[in-house]
Amino acid sequence: MKLTVNGTDHDVEVAAEMPLLWVLRDTLGITGPKYGCGIAQCGACTVHIDGIAVRSCQLAVADVEGEITTIETPDAPETLKIVQQAWIDHQVAQCGYCQGGQIMQAASFLDLVPDPTDEDIDAAMSGNLCRCGTYPRIRAAVRSAARRLSGA
Amino acid sequence: MMRAAAFLFLWPVVAYAQEPQVSAADGLAAWDRIFEVVSHPRCANCHTGPSDRPMWSGPSYGETRVHGMNIRAGESRIGAEFIPCRTCHVTSNTAQNDTPHAAPQVADAWRLAPVEAHWFGQSSDDICQQLRDPERNGGRTVEELVEHLGHDVILHWAWAPGGGRAPAPYSLSIHIRDMQIWGNAGQPCAAG
Repeated sequence: MKLTVNGTDHDVEVAAEMPLLWVLRDTLGITGPKYGCGIAQCGACTVHIDGIAVRSCQLAVADVEGEITTIETPDAPETLKIVQQAWIDHQVAQCGYCQGGQIMQAASFLDLVPDPTDEDIDAAMSGNLCRCGTYPRIRAAVRSAARRLSGA
Repeated sequence: MMRAAAFLFLWPVVAYAQEPQVSAADGLAAWDRIFEVVSHPRCANCHTGPSDRPMWSGPSYGETRVHGMNIRAGESRIGAEFIPCRTCHVTSNTAQNDTPHAAPQVADAWRLAPVEAHWFGQSSDDICQQLRDPERNGGRTVEELVEHLGHDVILHWAWAPGGGRAPAPYSLSIHIRDMQIWGNAGQPCAAG
């Protein structure tokens, strides 16, 4: 099975129904996407497929159509770079376990909605849980990234 | 001979499709079964009308509530303004993801039904009037409603939802038959 991850082509021999997260972490050694719940209820495993956020823990690898981008991509698209910088500026992370997924979700969201309200941000980020409760800093970072993307 | 055989084979179908030979009582009985289906959580949870919030209701969800994670489908009805439905309800050609509590997946784009197709919490007569009104049923004749039932794979999922979810009542084929009966009876609704 052929996969393109962070711009690199891979040929993997795995079961068709294996979740993409397992393939990334256990087969390819790409460990930025984290396991949290396994049923798309926490968002720690979020990656992009052709720029759209997906929960890789419950996506059968055979259903992947498009290029996969994870938090550790060395060639991040502009929106993802800006979101990553906003996370650093606001020192969002506490333990950090969920933050890769948070950043990937925020970058996908801002690609679709570059000028969101706080209500929009809360709705878009509510599927990504943070046990440390960094939500106020997450919202602030998304807001900063949105301002930078819109040139304000 | 072949033409005669074809005529004999097709005649009942053509007659059935063109002649309203079904009594209003049988049509209303078929509608009652249709209502059991369209008001069932597997269908109604994503037919929330003016609300852009899908619902979680039915035996496998306990207390009726809006979809967790603050999910909103937006005006796009596919969540493009917030979280796309397909972030979790991935279009899947291989499996439907029947793990309990996980996001079900079908071979089509997961989405909320159009605003005008408001079923959740609506009465039998409200839904009956909506389904026979081309202004509110996607411009469909009854034949086109039947065809829609045959082709829409999200709708087919309702009878095989997996994950411990209760399936819609009856079966897809019975539902299609009921829609034909209701149509051939002139799409009667209890309130006229």
